Amino acid sequence: MRLFVYLGIVFYAFILILIGLVLIIFAFNILKPQDISNLISFVQYSTHSRIIIGLSGLLLILVSISFAQLILGRFQRERTIAFSTSSGEVTIALSAIEDLIKRLSSYLPEIRELRPDVIATKKGIIVDLRVILRSEANIPELTAHLQDITKSKMQEVLGIEEPIIIKIHIAKIVPLEDRDKKKKETEKQEPPIPFSGYTRL
Amino acid sequence: MHKEEAQTELGAVRIYKDVIASIVSLAVAEIEGVKRIGGDFRSGILELIGKKSFNAIRVEFDKNNEVRVQIPLIVKYNFNVVEVANKVQENVRSAIERMTNLFVKNIDVNVQAIEA
Repeated sequence: MRLFVYLGIVFYAFILILIGLVLIIFAFNILKPQDISNLISFVQYSTHSRIIIGLSGLLLILVSISFAQLILGRFQRERTIAFSTSSGEVTIALSAIEDLIKRLSSYLPEIRELRPDVIATKKGIIVDLRVILRSEANIPELTAHLQDITKSKMQEVLGIEEPIIIKIHIAKIVPLEDRDKKKKETEKQEPPIPFSGYTRL
Repeated sequence: MHKEEAQTELGAVRIYKDVIASIVSLAVAEIEGVKRIGGDFRSGILELIGKKSFNAIRVEFDKNNEVRVQIPLIVKYNFNVVEVANKVQENVRSAIERMTNLFVKNIDVNVQAIEA
């Protein structure tokens, strides 16, 4: 199957290169409209060549349809996780899992942005997390915590037993916004306890 | 607009696919954890032209008069997706069998998204 995909890609690349070359040749005035006209009339003149051209066209259409089906089918299969139950099949779109993971960023204030990419493979479910952090975050602690909560949330909500591999990529660390700074300062200043200076006699 | 026909002594009783889809839709809405029924390409296009009531639930009858249903689903955040899907399958099966006497072969649930 992989060979077929490879051949398909090579085939389409070849066709596109050929079209590109023809356009370039046409632009440089090497190929004249008269030549194209002559070629078409030559092909149309003979019945054999017309049959060959027609069959080639049909073959091209069939190859294109089967290749598109293969790619789309593969794409669809890879973008879902499926479970079988007694009543039928349950499929979960990987984008739904990505939605779920995105919501986890609300638990961790140090995370400014979280972009998950979930891939289902034979080895298990691979979660790629692209994270933008706010400064002053302890990266090893935070990433370990993020991996833990992502894994536990996925197991809890999806009930999946397959191994979950979580990869984290920290794309950016952004400075604390004024709003965040003020919040942090107010958190640091502990509110005074009323009558704390007095003791019971 | 395909339909399932059952012959009785007095005549034929026809149940349209849309009727089954409505039963499914109501049975799905009863389950806690279901946000709404999802959509597909066709329902998206029809929604764009203002046909909002179009159901993305697919109903098929096979040669043995058995029903096969495909339900696109949006699940609420913080609910176990698999549990919700199982409850949906059970409720849909019992609703169809109770209301139509048809045998349900398969109920496929496609969880498309998780929303708050």
